[in-house]
Amino acid sequence: MGSPSLVVSHVSKIVDDKKILEDISYTFYPKNIYTILGPSGSGKSSLLRLLNRLDESSSGEIIFDGQTIDSYVVCELRKKIGYLFQTPYLFEKTVKDNFLFADNTVSNSQMLELLAQVHLSQKMLESSVEKLSVGEKQRVAFARMLLTKPKILLLDEPTSALDPSITEAFEQFIQKITIKENLTTIIVTHSPEQAMRFDQTGILIADGKIAESSDIKSLLENPQSDAGKRYKARELS
Amino acid sequence: MNNPGMTEVLFSLILVAIAIAISRFWKINVEKDIAIGSVRSFVQLVAVGYALNFIFDLESVWLILVTLLVMALVGAQAASSRVTKIKSPFVLILFSILFGSFVTIGIMAFLNIITFEARYIIPLGGMIIGNSMNASALSMNRITSDISSNRLTVETALSLGKSWRESSALYFRDAVTTGMISILNSMKTVGLVALPGAMTGMILAGADPLDAVLLQIIVMYMILMAVAVTSVVVVELTVRQLFTVHHQLK
Ligand SMILES: Nc1ncnc2c1ncn2[C@@H]1O[C@H](COP(=O)(O)OP(=O)(O)O)[C@@H](O)[C@H]1O
Ligand SMILES: [Mg+2]
Repeated sequence: MGSPSLVVSHVSKIVDDKKILEDISYTFYPKNIYTILGPSGSGKSSLLRLLNRLDESSSGEIIFDGQTIDSYVVCELRKKIGYLFQTPYLFEKTVKDNFLFADNTVSNSQMLELLAQVHLSQKMLESSVEKLSVGEKQRVAFARMLLTKPKILLLDEPTSALDPSITEAFEQFIQKITIKENLTTIIVTHSPEQAMRFDQTGILIADGKIAESSDIKSLLENPQSDAGKRYKARELS
Repeated sequence: MNNPGMTEVLFSLILVAIAIAISRFWKINVEKDIAIGSVRSFVQLVAVGYALNFIFDLESVWLILVTLLVMALVGAQAASSRVTKIKSPFVLILFSILFGSFVTIGIMAFLNIITFEARYIIPLGGMIIGNSMNASALSMNRITSDISSNRLTVETALSLGKSWRESSALYFRDAVTTGMISILNSMKTVGLVALPGAMTGMILAGADPLDAVLLQIIVMYMILMAVAVTSVVVVELTVRQLFTVHHQLK
């Protein structure tokens, strides 16, 4: 499988005496897509925030590319570990301004190509962001994140506001760049169907712990943990 | 008009009495506040008058500095009581006010705009500190509330690898402007709407209006600089409290 890109070992997060995440350990490899499932409030977003160091873990260690994340200059680390928020935010004023904010050396033709890749019209480059729909904003934010040349993608419900037709095209794009750019892609999704379409590794988080992880089919169809069984009963009935 | 004495002050109590009568007749119920306020301001001002006389007579540099420090302490206390969202605003505000005042007064003394005598330093210092006090409270409140209500914006910038400084630059600018807005606005209308205090005082005391104007111009520039420095310093210090050393929003 080659060497891991990201190793999470015994990571916990405690906020005001409340355990948000408890003893999370997992090893991620390049060219793979990991789907994180779990009830809302179980700690999925909190985990992503620790991975690109927007928050500090209370204990444990996170290793990126063979080195603990503490050893990187944090702003450089965040470019390497791209994070697409659940609620995308675009800066004023145009789509182009947002791309230049992420990388002020990017050329016009690169920006146009990027728009095409996320299935947006190239005319949109000069559009004011206020005019975009939520789904369009989500894709612009995704494209903007790619401009920092990340090796790891953390995507928090990236298709929650997309039309079904666009969703599948977008999923294919994610699969394509994950292989082509040798990325490690970690996607939080509320949709078991989407996890099935990616058809790779599934990680189920419940109450701040990894309840189980395996290939997504067996995780969804034949869960071993109580949390997995409850998840199946609720989501797949 | 001659310079007023105690007799004139006693006669001016009639003005207070009229205010009380108005309150009573129209049942506004502020008689007590008027009475307390009038006595209080009388006592405070007379005490300050004696204190200033004492300080002016001694002409001790140390005493001038101690007086400025006391004014800054009182100003910082008043300003920090108006700040709600930061845990210990007093030290940050005090430092900003002291920094702004001392740099401004220092430059004015260095350029010989004023001589380092109690009679000049203390009233000008009072004006500087009063204005800096307001500016620092406004700036500090603005930066904390802007950043806490725009967490998503700031964290989006952080997640793209921007530093805390780049991620908060927009709010930094707004917060400093908020501290300066009062002096900037008053510079626009000065003299047209109302005559500012220092100038009014000089004119009442019998000075040539043109001399009074020159002094007023210096006072405005002085306040402008002091407020700019204080606001920048207080926002610099405050914004650091809102982030961790790892560029994380607290
Ligand atoms: N900054 C915070 N302070 C306190 N509690 C938090 C904070 N962030 C998240 N939480 C709590 O942590 C838990 C996990 O939240 P989150 O990671 O957003 O869940 P998910 O993304 O799985 O829906 C929730 O109970 C939430 O209320
Ligand atoms: Mg979430």
